[in-house]
Amino acid sequence: MSSGGMLYGGDEIGALVFDPGHHSLRVGYAQEDTPKAEIPAVVGEETISGALDLETKPTNNISSNTKHYIDTTFLNVPRSNMEIQTYMKDGMIDNWDLFEKVLNYTYARVVSSKSEYHPVLFSEASWNVRTNRERLTELMFEKYNVPAFFVVKNAVLAAFANGRATALVVDSGATHTSAVPVHEGYVLTQAVVKSPLGGDYLSLQCRQYLESQGIDLTPVYAVASKDVIRERDNPRFQPRILPDKLTNSWQQYMLKGLLQDFQMSTVQVLETPYDERTASQIPSVHYEFPTGYHQEFGCERFKLAESLFDHTMLGAGQLASTSVGMCDADVRLSLYGSVVVTGGNTLLQGFPERLNRDLSHRAPSNTRLKMISANGSVERRFGAWIGGSILASIGTFQQMWISAQEYEEGGKSQVERKCP
Amino acid sequence: MASGVAVSDASVKAYEEIKNGKNHRFAIFKIIDNKIDVEHVGSRDASYDDFLEHLKAGDGKQCRYGVYDYEYTYQHQGTESVAQKHKLFLMLWCPDTASVPNKMIYASSYEALKQSLVGIQKYIQANDTEEASQESVEEILRSTDRR
Repeated sequence: MSSGGMLYGGDEIGALVFDPGHHSLRVGYAQEDTPKAEIPAVVGEETISGALDLETKPTNNISSNTKHYIDTTFLNVPRSNMEIQTYMKDGMIDNWDLFEKVLNYTYARVVSSKSEYHPVLFSEASWNVRTNRERLTELMFEKYNVPAFFVVKNAVLAAFANGRATALVVDSGATHTSAVPVHEGYVLTQAVVKSPLGGDYLSLQCRQYLESQGIDLTPVYAVASKDVIRERDNPRFQPRILPDKLTNSWQQYMLKGLLQDFQMSTVQVLETPYDERTASQIPSVHYEFPTGYHQEFGCERFKLAESLFDHTMLGAGQLASTSVGMCDADVRLSLYGSVVVTGGNTLLQGFPERLNRDLSHRAPSNTRLKMISANGSVERRFGAWIGGSILASIGTFQQMWISAQEYEEGGKSQVERKCP
Repeated sequence: MASGVAVSDASVKAYEEIKNGKNHRFAIFKIIDNKIDVEHVGSRDASYDDFLEHLKAGDGKQCRYGVYDYEYTYQHQGTESVAQKHKLFLMLWCPDTASVPNKMIYASSYEALKQSLVGIQKYIQANDTEEASQESVEEILRSTDRR
């Protein structure tokens, strides 16, 4: 933040920035470099039969016969009858009751301050619908009494943070990959293209592959101790004694954590479509599972990533070129000249390079193609949040917010008027 | 999407002097104290290289806006006649090497400048030296001429 401290008049505002995604909700104070917390986008819901157990430790939220568990330290504890649910659907907030629980937790534990003191800026998916935006506006003003509110499309934030008013934003996250053209600061909504091939899809591929190899995928919570063994030997471990009635949803959630770790440490994207000879020349990667089992992974780790690209309709390169093709001919060149790559799934080694290669084969010849991807993993995962953090801290941005007074006078439809 | 950053009267005046008075060749704008202000104006006989020099005054670390009255010759197809053309372009200069806050502020405030400067023929976004070069700019300006 060296350049132009003069530009920020943000110290007295103390605005909060929320960036909701399928993997997690990023939240923190504007003007800071990274979010204060990254909260998993799921809530654990425990149904308590009969009387309330007074022995249990106080948790985040207790309501009648259900208890809610939010954030990693509470979620990752094995508990009987705790179902894992997500509040997101198709990139948008869907289960508002659960989302409110997460907001309550955020104000109480992360922000540790009253909601009425802090303006709130939210990011949203480019295809967010009006009813959803209005509902969020209503919630923030009515329930949380925020002094001001604003919502910005995450693709616009990502483009701006990379110094571009016009860009094609390719965002690969947990549940989907999308290509969003931003032209002169506005999303061309009719040309947004998305596919369900994201990090979760890759996790599924990894799971099928590992299971087909007969590898025991017992997550770390179920392992009490393990012996050191030689490579590819059968694992020897003591299972941990667990509470009974662990729900399927919770076990799946924990398994996903294991698979995500596996894919981030081993899976890699080849720059060219999969070819056994090329893949076999690249050093293999060693991975140890929670059970103690370990082995080297060679060609397989490239083959797995291929599912994100080698698809006639939904591969990342295809998605991007389809999106550009739906835009006016005169903006296509500038979109190809600024392809912003963002989202946690693009941290897979080789993702931007492969996208570049696939796009260059689809773009008209002599097109100047340029990929922009932040080098740091923090910038890539939190791209939209960082953009929002800077925007909300610009002194003059205060006049752009929907103020509580404007909301009083104009109601929730103000969001359509003030936030493009 | 806009940041609320305003455009100074001096900026609009400098632009009008280029557009109507033909008093200058170009102007460079910088965001100072939450306002887009004139940093430099180039005399009528200044070259494109002079423009680049001032545009890049931030040494790859700072963004700028630049407006330029570009002249070039244009030959109508199938005829001998050569026409002298004038085109005003506005450039958003956000070098990839600039800091994220600096890029964010310039990109999100661009809209305000575009609305204040009436009569610009081309908006050009440049993030590296090649995109800001005379060849690439001229190519963009010529792309909409009839051939």
